[in-house]
Amino acid sequence: MSAQNRVSNQTKVITGNAAAAYGAMLCRPDVVAAYPITPQSELIEQLAQFHADGILDCEYVTVEGENSAQNVVCGASMAGGRTFTATSSYGLVYMYDAMFNTAGYRAPVVMINVNREPPGIHAVCSGQQDMISVRDTGWVQLIAETCQEILDLTIQAFRLAEDYSIQLPVIINYDGYYLSFLAESVNIPAIEDVDKYLSVLKSQPKRPTLIPGEAIGCGSHGIGMGYVELRRKHMAAMDRVMPIVDVIDEEFGQAFGRRYGGQIETYRTEDADIVLVTSGSAVGTARTVIDAKREEGMKVGLVKLRLYRPFPVLRLSDALKGKKAIGVLDRSICFGWGCGPLYMETKAISSNIGHVPMLSFIDGLANMDITKEHIGQMIDTIFKASQGDSYQEVTWLP
Amino acid sequence: MSTIEKKRPKVFEYFQSEDQFAGGVAFCAGCALELNVRFISKVMGKNTVLVGTPSCSAPVLNGQNVAAWHKLGHYACTMTGVASSATGLARYYQRAGIDANVVCFTGDGCAQDIGFQTLSGAAERNEKMIYICYDNEGYMNTGIQRSSATPFGASTSTTPVGSQSQGKTTGSKNMPLIMSMHDIPYVATATLSHLEDYAQKLVKAKEKAKEGFAYIHVFCPCLVGWKIPMDDSIQVCRAAVRTNYFPLWEAVDGKFQMTHKVNKPKPVQELTSRLGKFKHLNDENLAILQSKVNKRYKLLQALCEAPE
Amino acid sequence: MAVTEKKECCIFETEASWSYANSHLLCLKTGEWRTERPVVNREICNSCGICFTYCPPQCMVDDGDYYKANLEFCKGCGICAKECPKGAITMRSEGDYANECPK
Repeated sequence: MSAQNRVSNQTKVITGNAAAAYGAMLCRPDVVAAYPITPQSELIEQLAQFHADGILDCEYVTVEGENSAQNVVCGASMAGGRTFTATSSYGLVYMYDAMFNTAGYRAPVVMINVNREPPGIHAVCSGQQDMISVRDTGWVQLIAETCQEILDLTIQAFRLAEDYSIQLPVIINYDGYYLSFLAESVNIPAIEDVDKYLSVLKSQPKRPTLIPGEAIGCGSHGIGMGYVELRRKHMAAMDRVMPIVDVIDEEFGQAFGRRYGGQIETYRTEDADIVLVTSGSAVGTARTVIDAKREEGMKVGLVKLRLYRPFPVLRLSDALKGKKAIGVLDRSICFGWGCGPLYMETKAISSNIGHVPMLSFIDGLANMDITKEHIGQMIDTIFKASQGDSYQEVTWLP
Repeated sequence: MSTIEKKRPKVFEYFQSEDQFAGGVAFCAGCALELNVRFISKVMGKNTVLVGTPSCSAPVLNGQNVAAWHKLGHYACTMTGVASSATGLARYYQRAGIDANVVCFTGDGCAQDIGFQTLSGAAERNEKMIYICYDNEGYMNTGIQRSSATPFGASTSTTPVGSQSQGKTTGSKNMPLIMSMHDIPYVATATLSHLEDYAQKLVKAKEKAKEGFAYIHVFCPCLVGWKIPMDDSIQVCRAAVRTNYFPLWEAVDGKFQMTHKVNKPKPVQELTSRLGKFKHLNDENLAILQSKVNKRYKLLQALCEAPE
Repeated sequence: MAVTEKKECCIFETEASWSYANSHLLCLKTGEWRTERPVVNREICNSCGICFTYCPPQCMVDDGDYYKANLEFCKGCGICAKECPKGAITMRSEGDYANECPK
C-alpha cells in the first residue's frame, strides 16, 4: 500500500484545514510554501507532518513571511513545478504585490485562503473581507461550503489552474473557524484516483518554463501593445474559466461521485418567487431555513455562489431571471457602495434578470454567527419587498 | 621596433564564456555596474539564472516584450520578492535535477531595505543559491535617494544639504557582516578595481552554493549619484579599498580572513575628496565618518584574528 | 463581456511575458553617445590588457598585437585612459573626427 493510501482512500472525521491538506497532498505538489496564520496554521502543520512521515514528497519551504511564500510558489511554478500555499487575511494582503506577479506571469499556483477579517480593525475572526480585497489581482477564486467540498475543490483547483487553456492561479476560500476548525465526515479519495483525474493534464501541451541555459527571460517588461496584448489574453483566459469550472465539476462527479453544480449551485429555485444568494458555510444554514420556509408555503430558493472570480454572470442570470425579489447575503462590506460586495456584483446583472427589488444583507462579521433566525428574517424581508412593500436596500445584522 | 607580447591579464583565466550581454546596453557611460554585470556573465557560466528587480540593472536585465539584452536566464520580480522567488526556482531545479546556477542580483536598496527580510529568511534556510548585492549606496535608479547603505554625511536627494542639514545623519548598515551572522557557508566583499579577487570569490561562491547560501557584497560606485567624473569609477573603488572604507574579506564556513591586506591605510578623506556627494563634508563630520570606518575595521580584524 | 475571438495583434506567442534572447537580442548603438574617443599610442602601449579588463562595456577589442575601442559601442567614458598604467591612451574629442565617414 502506498504511503499516501495509508492515510487516504477512506472516510474520516477531519477538520476543514485537514481536508485542505489532504487535498493538496493527494495532488503531489512539488513545492509547498508554509507560513502560519490563524486560522490556517493547522493546515500547514498537517502538511508538515505528511512531509515528515514521507507521505508528501515535496520541497516544503518554511518561509519567513507570506510575501515570501507567494514569491516562492510563483518562482517554483515558473521553473516548471506544481506549487501550493495557504494563508488568510493579513497574510493574503501581505502577499498582495506578489499576487499580481503570479497572476501576471500566469503561474498555475493553487492557494488556500481561510477567510478571516483583515486590516482596518484587528480581528481574529471569520469574514470574507480578505477574499474581496484581492478580487482584482487576476486570480480565479472559488468558495467552499463544507469540509468535503474543501478537499474536492482543492483537487479541482489544480485541474483548473494547470489546464493549458487557462494557466491561471486559483484561490480556494473557506470560512475561518466555521470550516477551518469544524470536523466533518470527509471521504478522502485514493491517490491513484486523483492521479487519474489529473492525468488529462499530461496529455496537454507543456506551458513555457524558465529553463537555465536557454536564454529565456521570465517577466520581461511589457511595452506598449505587448503589454495590452497580455492583458487581453489574461482577460480572455478568465472568460474561459467559467464553462471549464462546470466541465471540471462534472468530470469530478463522474470520477468521485460528488457534484457541486459548477459555477453556482441552485437549490429549489426553479419555481421560486424569491431567492437568497450567498456563499461559504452560511449556505448550509440557509438550506435548512429554505426548507422550513417552504414547509410554510413560501416559494423561496437559494443560490450558492461557488465561483467568485470570474463572476458567473450567465449562470447566475439564468438562475435569477424572472424572480420577484432577490437578497444577497455578504460576509463582508463594499466600501464606496455602502453595501455588500457580492450584492453589488449581483446588482450589476440587473439588466439581465430584470429590475426587481434587490436587497443587501451584511451578517457574520467578527465571528458573529449567521443564525437560522437571521436568515429567516432576511427571507421575510425579501418576501415583503417582493409584495411591493417599501424596503431598506442594505440591512446589517444582527 | 621591439616585438609586442600581447598579454592577457590573469583575470581572463576565470572566464567560462564570452560576455553574454549585447554590445550596447543602457548603462551610464563609465558605470561600474556595467562592468560588474558583464564580468559576472563571463565568470558564472551559461546555466546562470539571474533573479532581478526594479533597479539600475533592471532596464538591462529585464527583457522588453519578447526581446532581451542578454542571453542568461532571467527572472524578474518585485523588490520584496528577490530571494524568495530565487528560493522557489532553486528548490524546483534541485528537485527536478536541473543544473542551474541561481544568482540574485540586486542593489543595496533591495538587499538592505525592502528585500532584507526575504534575504535574511533565505540565508537562514541556507538556500542553495548566490546573492550578489551591488552597493552603490542608495536608490540610484529612482533618483539618488538614500538607503540604509548610504554612508554617514552623504548628500542624496532625500538627505540633501541645506541650511538645516548636512546630509545623512546616521551611519550605514554593515551588510556583509550581518549576512555573515546567518551561519551560511560563504560571505565575501569585492569591488571592481580588484577583479581577480572578485573572480576568485565568484568561483568560490558558485562552489559553496552547492552546500548553501553564498553572499557577495560588491562596492559599485554610481558616477551620477556620487557626482564623480565618468572616468573615475575604478579609481574610486581602489580608494575605497586603500582607505579601509571597504575592506576586501571573505568568511568561509564562518572563518574570516582578509583577502587583500592594506598595510598603510590612507585616511578616508582620500575617498571622500573624490566624491561630489561629500563635497560639503566639514571636518567634524569627516572625523565622525573616519571613526566609523576605523571601528568597523577593528571589528573585522578581531573576527579575522579570532581563534578557531 | 465576450472577448473578441479573432487572433489579435500577436507580439507574444505565449500567454505571459517571456523573452527569448536567442531569437530576439536587442542592442543599442551606444557609440552615438560619446563626445570623446580613446586613442591608443602604440609606441607606448605594451599590450598589457588592462584597458580591456576595466572597460565597462567591454568594448576594447583585439586588434592584432594591440587593443582598440569598438567605436560602435564605446561610450567615451575614459576609464581605459585613466587606468592605463603607461598613459598610452588619450581621449580625443569626437569633433576631431567630424569629417570622418561613419562605418
